[in-house]
Amino acid sequence: MAEGDGLTMNNLISEVQGALDKFKLEDDATGANDYYSPYANLEKAAVLQEARCFHDPTAVRESPRKCCTVIAQLLHLTNTGQYMNSAEATEVFFGVTKLFMSDDASLRRMVYLFIKDVAETCNPDDVIIVTSSLTKDMTCDVDLYRANALRVLARIVDAAMLGAIERYVKQAVVDSSGQVSSAALVSATHLFEKNEESAAIVKRWISETTEATSSPNEMVQFHAMQLLYQIKKHDRLGMQKLVTQFSQRNTLRSPLALVLLVRYTAKLLTDEVSEGRQSGSFQTGTNFSRAGYAFLEASLRHKSEMVVYEAAKSICALPNIEPQELSPAVNVLQLFLSSPKPAVRFAAIKTVSQVAVNHPRIVSKCNEDLEALIADANRSIATLAITTLLKTGSENSVDRLLKQISVFLSEIPDEYKVTIVKSIQRLCLTYPAKHRVLVGFLSNFLREEGGFEFKRSIVNSIVSLMKQVPETTEGSLLHLCEFIEDCEFTMLSTQILHLLGELGPGTSAPARYIRFIYNRVILENSAVRAAAVGALSKFAARCPSLRSSILTLLKRSLDDEDDETRDRASVAVSVLKDAMEEFPYLAPPEDADPDEDPVPDVPQAGDPAAFVLLQGLPMSFDRLDRSIRAYVKAPAAMDSPDQLTLSTLPIVEEYEEPESAVDDGDDIGADAALAAAVSGKEKEKKEVVDPAAAVYAIPELAALGRVFRSSPPTALSEEEAEYVVTCVKHVLPEHIILQFPIQNTLEDQRLVNCTVTVEGDSECFEVAGEVAAESIKYGETVNAFTVISRNPDAPLAPCNFECVLNFGVIQVDPKSGEDESDPFEEEYPLEELEIATSDFMAKVSVPDFRSSWEIVGNSNEVLEKFALQFKKQEDAVSAVIDFLGMQPCDGTGHIKPGEGGKKPHMLHLSGVFVGGTNVLARAQVAAQGDASGVLLKIAVRSDDPDVSRMVADCIR
Amino acid sequence: MASGAFPPLLPKVDAILVLDGDGNRLAGKYYGDFMKNPSTTAAAAGDGADTTTDNAAAAQSVEQLRNSFEQQLQSKIGGIAAKPDAAEVVTVLGKTAVFCGGSPPGNNGGGGDVRVVHVGPAGESELVLAHLVEGMYEALSHLMGGSTDRAMVLDNLELVFLLIDEHCDGGIILETDGQKLAGSVLLRDEQEPAMGQGMEGQGGGGMPGQAPPMQSGGGMGGLGMGGGEMTIGQALMQARNQIMANLNQT
Repeated sequence: MAEGDGLTMNNLISEVQGALDKFKLEDDATGANDYYSPYANLEKAAVLQEARCFHDPTAVRESPRKCCTVIAQLLHLTNTGQYMNSAEATEVFFGVTKLFMSDDASLRRMVYLFIKDVAETCNPDDVIIVTSSLTKDMTCDVDLYRANALRVLARIVDAAMLGAIERYVKQAVVDSSGQVSSAALVSATHLFEKNEESAAIVKRWISETTEATSSPNEMVQFHAMQLLYQIKKHDRLGMQKLVTQFSQRNTLRSPLALVLLVRYTAKLLTDEVSEGRQSGSFQTGTNFSRAGYAFLEASLRHKSEMVVYEAAKSICALPNIEPQELSPAVNVLQLFLSSPKPAVRFAAIKTVSQVAVNHPRIVSKCNEDLEALIADANRSIATLAITTLLKTGSENSVDRLLKQISVFLSEIPDEYKVTIVKSIQRLCLTYPAKHRVLVGFLSNFLREEGGFEFKRSIVNSIVSLMKQVPETTEGSLLHLCEFIEDCEFTMLSTQILHLLGELGPGTSAPARYIRFIYNRVILENSAVRAAAVGALSKFAARCPSLRSSILTLLKRSLDDEDDETRDRASVAVSVLKDAMEEFPYLAPPEDADPDEDPVPDVPQAGDPAAFVLLQGLPMSFDRLDRSIRAYVKAPAAMDSPDQLTLSTLPIVEEYEEPESAVDDGDDIGADAALAAAVSGKEKEKKEVVDPAAAVYAIPELAALGRVFRSSPPTALSEEEAEYVVTCVKHVLPEHIILQFPIQNTLEDQRLVNCTVTVEGDSECFEVAGEVAAESIKYGETVNAFTVISRNPDAPLAPCNFECVLNFGVIQVDPKSGEDESDPFEEEYPLEELEIATSDFMAKVSVPDFRSSWEIVGNSNEVLEKFALQFKKQEDAVSAVIDFLGMQPCDGTGHIKPGEGGKKPHMLHLSGVFVGGTNVLARAQVAAQGDASGVLLKIAVRSDDPDVSRMVADCIR
Repeated sequence: MASGAFPPLLPKVDAILVLDGDGNRLAGKYYGDFMKNPSTTAAAAGDGADTTTDNAAAAQSVEQLRNSFEQQLQSKIGGIAAKPDAAEVVTVLGKTAVFCGGSPPGNNGGGGDVRVVHVGPAGESELVLAHLVEGMYEALSHLMGGSTDRAMVLDNLELVFLLIDEHCDGGIILETDGQKLAGSVLLRDEQEPAMGQGMEGQGGGGMPGQAPPMQSGGGMGGLGMGGGEMTIGQALMQARNQIMANLNQT
């Protein structure tokens, strides 16, 4: 029988095989193109139909394969974007739960996979019904079931259910099977992030997790480290202990776990520095810094590249790292630069280029390896190599480098080119002597093929170089002129034309630009024509010698079909005609001695053309916009009989510009869309509410006049206090309105009739009145006001005020909110409030500090010298800004990174004092080297000597 | 230094993708909030029945986001072939993408045109990502019997799904060893090699040695042919299913 059986079976199998081969042959014959895949051209409806078979117990029992395929097809559908809607998902989901009946391992595996996928989109209440099946699987003896069931459960349980199965999970963490243990640890990590309650439960598994770190399985070590960090991350000393233990015991085998350990060490070291426990060399620092750095350094010699790289990268990223501590890391990276693996080269070059920003000298020893990488097949690596070389290269290698780049540039995408253009711009700043070569190089690329972003980055680079390296101006202008001859981007053309109008007339031979500009008038679209006409009229206004010829050109635009162009032309023509009648241009006599100084070709004083065409607004458009908005907001402004002029507009302070991220230009792939999104957000942020609106809302206060400036809120109580009081100072010409937002944090009280009494000893301030907050319920914030009048004749002096909160308390029932008692009087002492001179200063920037400084003149200048007790120059600079309450100009508010402490820092400040006096200040902050303090020299100029004196006295 | 440059302390990958030579996604998974607009999460969290249309609309936009990301990715990795043990790196939308596989330009239709891509945050170490992607690629080529071309992968998608799941759970890497990964996908337990034999009729479970599943094209991927462990009834049943399936196609 047995023999017979075997025979039949063998026969059967060979027959089946034969049949299959035949089909296969046929398949092959029909060609590879129309082969059949179970996943090709799937229709959602058809698959959903197929999925009905899950409900048929026989089908499930007898053809688990088919069920597997259907599940895979369902997964494939979601994968290709054909999502199921909720109803469909729920139906399929219930079908799938039926599959738990089958014992087929592959099928069970697919069921797990499906539940995990669907758990994200299905109604959680539906998903929960599989918990019992999963819990059963979690406790069975098949590792595969346990591991998977655990992972699925982690997705669907809530904290209460987690408590119920906690015992099993805890056991699983220390399971002998690596698969189960890893699954438990990873699930715990997910649960920890899910919600507070689950996190609290996971925290109880700390000893099991610690035990798991000594598992022989590498992945378990990795997952256990990860979870330990999660649990302990807010416990600094705990983390330090953990890191020290593992780095000394050397028990971790897994490279991934070691990578984590390196990262944790670096994080803790960084925290040591940022929290001020560590300064100077890490090798001589605190115990932990020494051990931590030693561990990082030792990891540089690990046998796994991953760990070595991580250690090198971490060392390079440590704050204030000393060069000799950095160099072992750079040595390792240098070796990596010539690795056969692209990922290793990429990682190394990325880190090296970051180091090059602050320590170009150390990186320069890698220059040879970097040059070899310019030819790398991976374009990202090549680009990074070039940008790094541009940072580290010496002046005489520039020409050779440029030659190499120009071959390379033509064959890479625009995105990389933009990065390189930025680096070249930076290089030009480092070596201004090379400007001719570098700008020439940039302008060569203007003529080549390229997209808008690429061209714009070149134009921007050239323009900013003109500002920073003035010698480049004339050459660059001609390059740009040539570029607009053949420029398809309207925006760039108009930008360049405007620039020509600004800078061209000031050059040695303005006439040569006219042809380029006039060509635009003839050949271009309306926007460019308008810009060209604008530029022409500026040339005419600035250079009387060119007026008559330009007038001829401009007249041709008088019948331009574009309104804007025509308007600009007619304004310019009429103004120029008047000016030429009034101040006719006298050409210098032909026989004038060439050695004599030529008569400067500038418009004479009072020239109307120069006034109309060249004078800009006294303030930026942005500021004008804000001022007018503020003007309209003030009550009764619109009914005021006074004429509205620029000088009567209210002063509006600059907003704190969010510090723009330092764009080091090396972030390949920095994406324009993202950047746009970010700047969009910033714009929204700028729509701030006028803080003075609260004052205008109260008629008595509004009658005092327009608020000159409002200070940011200062806290007068602890944040956790029962009554949270802050103060906003609104400065008016003769008054100060103190606004006290008072918040009631007591649930069983209602506050009535709240006022803040202020008492100070000062000649110039006197309390004039109070406006009480009538009633403050629990959780509410209501404003109380106190008005202080200022004696304008007495000199301003800083003054401290004692503040007390007076109020009536009514007990209330927290539930119903009904009053339960009569009010009784209470007092609550607040912190002192200071009114300083800087409160009367509005932060307003001037467009051009130097010229404003000259215009104000030194007649009311006050000079002072101070020795300040600051350890760092940076601190001193920000303190000076704070003392004076003025706006830093020209980006002098921050010391350039890398320059701190070496040179005296020049700070330019401007502001408007109450009453509308413009104040300018120049402050020189010099570190004395021996950390004994900082020397400050300050010069204050304004139209009023008293104001200058007062401002200078702000320094304390 | 840019803040994005610090390595994450809880390393997670943002996406794992299996793309064909033209950049079409054969299989893949996005983790966390990557390529997911905030409205989607809100809709998914809400009551399912009411938000059916919302879900569909949101899902559509997520799909668009992902597709556009993949297009950008493809424009950078297309034409680069990475050896299985030397992953290549590119950056896309500020993310680091590391991949294995692919064929050089001009070699259309050749073997090995599938790319396995791991996408990680900018601060993530490229070497770690490369380690992951190389592990998964090894497992994939093992599972596909050494030929990771588009057709083979499409035929065995089920295994690819399982592979991704065994490799990574919710963004956290579970296992990186190629052999172990392939083993768990084929339900071979590392400690108990014989365990699979207890389950009847499972794909590849009873196959001797490390033989990969079928090389044949027609819908046979993963079908267990371990005749020895099957009862005749099961063998017949499977054969019938298979033949019916093949008949239906042709």
